[in-house]
Amino acid sequence: MLNSIRPKNRVIFAYLLIPVALFAFTVFVPLLAALFYSFFEWKGGPFRNATPNGIANYKELLQDKVFWKAFGNNMYLVVACIIGQIGIAFVLVMVINSKLVKLKGVHRTFGFFPSTISAVALGFIWTIIYHQKYGLINWFLDKIGVIDGTRNGKVWLNDTAHIMLIVSIPLIWQYIGYYMVIILSAVSAIDTEILESAEIDGATAIQRARYIVLPLVKSTLLVCITLCVAGNMKAFDNIMIMTKGGPGNASMVMALYGYTTSFQYNRLGYGSCISVGIFVCSLAVIGGSQLLMNWLMTDKYDRIEKKLQKKTDKAMKKKMKELQKGGALNG
Amino acid sequence: MKKKLLSVLLASAMVISLAACGGGDDKDNNNSSNNNNQQVEDNNTPANNDNNGTSDDGNGAAGGEDLAYTGEITFMHYSTSEESEGNGGSDAFRRAIANWDAAHPDITLNQEVLANADFKTQIATYANADSLPDVFMLQGMNAASWADQGLILDLTDAINNSPYATNYNYERMTPFTVGGKYYAFPALTGLTCTVVVYDAQMWADAGYSSFPTTWAEVEAAVDYFEGQGIDTIAFGNGGQWQMNSDFISCLGYQYTGTEWFDHIMAGDGQAAFTDDSFVAALTETQRLFHDTQIFNSDFNAVTNEDAREYFIAGDAAAFIGGNWDFSYIKASVDADKYANLKVAVLPQVADGSYVNNYQNIGMGYGVAINAKVANDPDKLAACIDLAREITGPDFAVYVGENYAEQGFYKASFDMSSFDQVTVDFYNFNYVDNIATEIYDSYVDGSVWGTLNADMQAMCNGEMDPATVAANAQASYEAFLGN
Repeated sequence: MLNSIRPKNRVIFAYLLIPVALFAFTVFVPLLAALFYSFFEWKGGPFRNATPNGIANYKELLQDKVFWKAFGNNMYLVVACIIGQIGIAFVLVMVINSKLVKLKGVHRTFGFFPSTISAVALGFIWTIIYHQKYGLINWFLDKIGVIDGTRNGKVWLNDTAHIMLIVSIPLIWQYIGYYMVIILSAVSAIDTEILESAEIDGATAIQRARYIVLPLVKSTLLVCITLCVAGNMKAFDNIMIMTKGGPGNASMVMALYGYTTSFQYNRLGYGSCISVGIFVCSLAVIGGSQLLMNWLMTDKYDRIEKKLQKKTDKAMKKKMKELQKGGALNG
Repeated sequence: MKKKLLSVLLASAMVISLAACGGGDDKDNNNSSNNNNQQVEDNNTPANNDNNGTSDDGNGAAGGEDLAYTGEITFMHYSTSEESEGNGGSDAFRRAIANWDAAHPDITLNQEVLANADFKTQIATYANADSLPDVFMLQGMNAASWADQGLILDLTDAINNSPYATNYNYERMTPFTVGGKYYAFPALTGLTCTVVVYDAQMWADAGYSSFPTTWAEVEAAVDYFEGQGIDTIAFGNGGQWQMNSDFISCLGYQYTGTEWFDHIMAGDGQAAFTDDSFVAALTETQRLFHDTQIFNSDFNAVTNEDAREYFIAGDAAAFIGGNWDFSYIKASVDADKYANLKVAVLPQVADGSYVNNYQNIGMGYGVAINAKVANDPDKLAACIDLAREITGPDFAVYVGENYAEQGFYKASFDMSSFDQVTVDFYNFNYVDNIATEIYDSYVDGSVWGTLNADMQAMCNGEMDPATVAANAQASYEAFLGN
């Protein structure tokens, strides 16, 4: 019966071809084009006027201090956001899930709200919050007497030493709710009986979170971390609005540097090379973080067990070989 | 079997049509925006004609020449209707375009109008794709590269043989001159990029009858204004370009003189950013912004738009910015402050070798024609006619009479109807001071980008002027090398 309404494989394939073709057109074609252009010196104007220059762009990229500074800043964002976004989201989920908290739906909705606002709008909002003279922060510091008048307050967005922290705060704030909703759905899938029996056994809330919830939602956390790493490797919009990569290049990130190089400096060949660099770096960081997470998430006891297993395996093999040798000699 | 074949066909048709959508999207959008713009212009035309008698004279000239071409001309510029509010060049430009369009009913003028920031990216993208519009605004900085690549037409003859040639101000031609040939009709108006706007009453209260002529005197006023709880001069460098366009591109001449930048423009190796004179200019800039309290402490975090609000709100006694800031301030202050509004050149440095009253002025954009148009002589004639008329007397007389500004065509007009603030600014731009070139109308974006980012760090005291100069020079040499 089912088979009669099931379309032929060819039909399914043809329909699937549409999204695949679109995906290829919007992802692979630009990627390959960027790879191709990255071997040219192309300073604006039609591509026919570009001159091939081999791997000169890549040589320059390896020595480009601004690019590596930007890479470092992206890494800073990744670490700050994993701790800030996912860490705080996990804590908030635990709090919301406690019996003491009322109006869970309201918390969930309002928590999620900031991640629906465009990063550009948020960039402007936070620029005003950080504003020296009219900003909320200096106004508050003035009111509680820490500074004498906002004119004498700190110019937050000009603080080179802490600028990355300052631009990460809006980013962290924006996406806490996003990860909160994801983790919340994973946590609500945990059988309440497990938690209740743990409670009866006298486990504290922190112990329950650490030894029961955390291991049970680890695959969801892994997804969150991958999303977080990928999202922060392409950070662009709020930094573009808040600092334009400044002061100097102190808050430059890779995507912003690629954009500036291509569209303001008109160095399209080198800009493409930067894009390829971003792709490779992001792939390495995401891959690396997944390996690390897998290692961290594997239970301590599992690891010891695996090690022991390996040892016994080795010993067994040795024994077998010896036996075989002995057998051969005997034979 | 038929059905299967049909479904495969349909599926592939969908893929193709979707792919086609991807490519065609831009054009569709552009066309619809063109239509919108077209409508706006059409609406404007009659009103403008009614308002101003001179437009008929201009129209007469524009319509006087019979053009054989019938068809479409694509034209891309950045004088949006929003920008034209209060902006003389933009307003007059839109009006001149509308007049030309009305005088040539057989030619469909298809305009693509984008705000300046978007325009720059879009026109560069068109150039990269080798699909520039027939007529477009060319930024001086791109002239050399695009002329070398054969993208823009040599307009030397068209300009020299123009009926308006005797009235042209050839000084404005510099950014569009490549190898002795002209590549664009300089468009809009030439106005300063660096002007000190100040409140004469506030400075009188501080004991100054006019704005100080030296930085030392400005420094002496700092204590007084700090005592009042306000900044002496407001400046905004949050976008990083302001320190270049609105400051060092004017102050620099007090150390380097004008010849230094002539060599930089020419790229003849006789001038370098690492020259002592330019490093001295950077050092003085660092001193003024980092070591003194003349400027608002958040100058590196706010834009010029924010900084001019400090001045308007009375939180600063003066402001440094470009003509665009001046026109905004003029339109925004109340009547009392307007009466006290005055302009001045940058104060003079103590240790410069070429100290003088400089102001950097130029016309950063010109109307250029796509080289491909040359294949169709009739169309070319029409494009040249368009470029000539919208930068000619029809434009110049209107912008002079209504805004007291000058374009490429030197129109004579009566100044008596203007108030003192407007007359002062006219004299500042065209009469009283020594005109110099605007740095970033020339050379290359990569050089200025490097310099601007480093100057921001330098003014925070995080980089020394010699390193800033060395980085800029490295970027400049990389540009020249290619």
